[in-house]
Amino acid sequence: MADVEDGPTGSVSEPLDLVRLLLDEVVFVKLRGDRELKGRLYAYDSHMNLVLGDVVETIYVVDEDDEEEDIKTTTKKSEMLFVRGDSVVLVSPQNSS
Amino acid sequence: MGSTSHNQSAPGFGQAYDPFADLRGNHDNVDEALDFEDTYDGLGDQLDETDDAFNDATFGDTGTGVSGAVGKDFDFFGATAKITNAMEEEHQRFNLHQQTSRTVRPPAAQDYNTFYAYQPAPPAHQPARTGYEKYKEEPTELQIDASIWGVAPKKTATPAAVSQPPAPARKMMSLEEVEAAMRAEAKYASPVPPPSQPQLQPQYHAPESSPYSRQAQLDPIRQPIDGRHQRGFQTGEFQHPGAQGVPHGHPITILQRPTKHTPTTSSPAMPNQIPQQQQTPSIAPTQILQNPNRLPAEGARMEVPMHPMHKSQGSAPRGVSQQNQLSDLSEKEKAAFAEAEARRAKRNHKIHLMSGNNGLMTPQDKSFITRIQLQQLVSATGDPSEQGNEAALSEDFYYQVLSSLRAGQRPNPNQPLNNFAQTYLFQTGTRRGGPRHHGPQNHVQRMEQQVQRAVEAAKNKPKNKQLVIEGSLGKISFSNAKTPKPLLNIKRTESGTETNRPASGQRTQPASKGHDKKDALRDIENVYLTLMKMEDLTRSMPPPNGSNDQNVADKQDEFNKLNDQLWNYLRVHEPISSTIVHPFISFISYPKGKRAIPRVFRYLSPTQRTTILTMIIIHLDQLDVVRGAQVQTGEPISHDAATRERIELFSLAVMPSLFQLLNESDLDIVTGVLGLITQNINVDLVARTRIGVSMLTMILSRAELIKQAGQANEQSWQQWVSTFNLFFNILEPSLHNIFPGTVTSGEDIYVWQFLAAIGIGASPDEQQRLVFAVKDRVMGTVGLAKTLPPDMAKERLDNVNLFMRSIGLDVELLN
Repeated sequence: MADVEDGPTGSVSEPLDLVRLLLDEVVFVKLRGDRELKGRLYAYDSHMNLVLGDVVETIYVVDEDDEEEDIKTTTKKSEMLFVRGDSVVLVSPQNSS
Repeated sequence: MGSTSHNQSAPGFGQAYDPFADLRGNHDNVDEALDFEDTYDGLGDQLDETDDAFNDATFGDTGTGVSGAVGKDFDFFGATAKITNAMEEEHQRFNLHQQTSRTVRPPAAQDYNTFYAYQPAPPAHQPARTGYEKYKEEPTELQIDASIWGVAPKKTATPAAVSQPPAPARKMMSLEEVEAAMRAEAKYASPVPPPSQPQLQPQYHAPESSPYSRQAQLDPIRQPIDGRHQRGFQTGEFQHPGAQGVPHGHPITILQRPTKHTPTTSSPAMPNQIPQQQQTPSIAPTQILQNPNRLPAEGARMEVPMHPMHKSQGSAPRGVSQQNQLSDLSEKEKAAFAEAEARRAKRNHKIHLMSGNNGLMTPQDKSFITRIQLQQLVSATGDPSEQGNEAALSEDFYYQVLSSLRAGQRPNPNQPLNNFAQTYLFQTGTRRGGPRHHGPQNHVQRMEQQVQRAVEAAKNKPKNKQLVIEGSLGKISFSNAKTPKPLLNIKRTESGTETNRPASGQRTQPASKGHDKKDALRDIENVYLTLMKMEDLTRSMPPPNGSNDQNVADKQDEFNKLNDQLWNYLRVHEPISSTIVHPFISFISYPKGKRAIPRVFRYLSPTQRTTILTMIIIHLDQLDVVRGAQVQTGEPISHDAATRERIELFSLAVMPSLFQLLNESDLDIVTGVLGLITQNINVDLVARTRIGVSMLTMILSRAELIKQAGQANEQSWQQWVSTFNLFFNILEPSLHNIFPGTVTSGEDIYVWQFLAAIGIGASPDEQQRLVFAVKDRVMGTVGLAKTLPPDMAKERLDNVNLFMRSIGLDVELLN
């Protein structure tokens, strides 16, 4: 129900207008440093600072032990998260129902 | 002597060179001239080339000196007074042009004072001549090489010729020779066909001798002055000419040399003149280069004097014959001759003007430059890999060959063989053949070939716009001024434009079809924006009884405008379609849409609110909180968190607004709403959802409240009862299924509330049916309550009592 398609529409005048449509929706946020967030977007600004709720953060760590590169993921859950905009790589609507 | 100066500049004096040329002519020098330039090609010929360069200088010197003498001679005889006048004029013209350089030289004239005795010529000219003679020394030195050349007759011929003519002049100097010299001068003037002179003819050098003979006249006087020259003659020097001249005429060559040397000793101070003298002789090679075809024809006529190298035997005889003719000619003929001479002088003058810088470059220089130009031409038209192939070839031959051979393995067979490779194929042939042996195939021919190739390359080029180099990732395109190199080669495919459009097209389609999710989201945002504006406006709204009516009116207008906007964004007015979810329903399917409802209701008129209520009721079974949220009695509640959340949100956000609206509504509206549900909606479906049950409870309870308050008139109430009865009949089969989960699962309070609402309004008959329908659940809950702790038991029993009491019963009675 809450999924949102991404893409330009006629009435959108700037990219953040699309982000605005994602307000109060569950979004997927990719961050620098191999981190990903999934949570409800409560607020954003022009710097892409985000306020997310009910966030699940996934951190990818490459373990280079014994020449075997294992990708380990650790997840954290946060009730509320403020994300600084300079680390945001992308924001995508996330199908949640 | 003015003659010397004239020689440098004046073409007429240039003719004085003819005698030397004649010597060469005996050797078939015409061909040699071509070879001369050819020598440039061969490495082995380098020696020859250097000599050639000097040869020009030497020829110029001798020529000038002789010509000057000739000019004087004519005056002396007076036979050709008219001619001489013309000559003088020409000389003066030339002098004017070249005066600057010559004026410096007068002091050097000492040696030539002898000339003065013979000829009344302006002394100013003599210095120039001295300068020439100085140069003549160098030729002698060069001649040492020339002697070597003697073995190779063609090339040696030129230097030999230079040195030789003066030598014979000295010894030969007799009256006859003097006359011959004079005749030689005459010959310059007249283009008349040359009858060969019997005297000079026997000697091949006769033509040469004629100009030199003039010098020879001077020589006797000089000789005493120049002891060195005589030595030179008798000793080693004359041998060189001898070696060269052996085939021609030895004595003459020997004699001529000393004359050249004398000036050098006498006038060492005249270096300036050197270039000038060299200029005149250089003309010959340039002309050869420029129009080789004309050489034979023109050389015979006019230019023979100019080009000692190319002179044929015939030219010299002409001069001799001319003089003879002059003396014997009638007035008429003389006039004609003078006219011809004037013409010639004019022409020579023109040539001279054009050849002001002649001699700055040696033939080798010129051919070299020509080659450079050709290379540029080829490289400009040919492909880049071929650029400067010849220069590169000479510098880095093996690499070039290797690369060309490798280029031969072209990845693209359609690609023509590299032009360089083609050129190289031809070049190897000539090179292998050896420059020395390919005399006839001189560089003129090669130039023609190169030009042809260049033209062909230019023709082929447009076909060959791209060069595919092995191993390169892309194509290298050529460029020139006409077709600049395209830096970007973008293929615009028909499908390319289409691929982009479907995306946008698909996006617009849903909008036209009805309501897109994005549209709903946008509507929600717009609703919020409008709400914020309205809220802001409301805050700034003065109290209704404010004094400023105008302001209030404006605010009210604005408010109404915003209200229209808000109503528009809510999409409630959109027509109802059975196939597509109504925009408003999708609107409130979003959490933020649901949350907006309470705020929206605040700024809507009662009519608008009722419309919304109606809209929700009509689509009750399509609400996200109803659809897919049914519960099945006896089965555990299997709602996911999101659905629970939505239901919770709807209950908290939307229901209060609707409840408040209903509480303010008349019974007619309540009856109407219930009628809508009964007629249009799957009651069973709605009754098995929490929201649906809550909605029904709300409606029924409102009706009961209206009844208890006595606000309803009889007619309305009857209408309501009938509607309720209809509803109860429809609902009855589902009653036992409206309980969520099992008895033990709880969460069934809203059902008991609903049952209570039904029970209150139900008739006794309906109450019995109701009890019968839910008896199992009641009994089960009571039984369960006995097993539960007192607190929980009491809660359960209280829930049941909600229903029991509505129908006048109590749980206690069951116990």
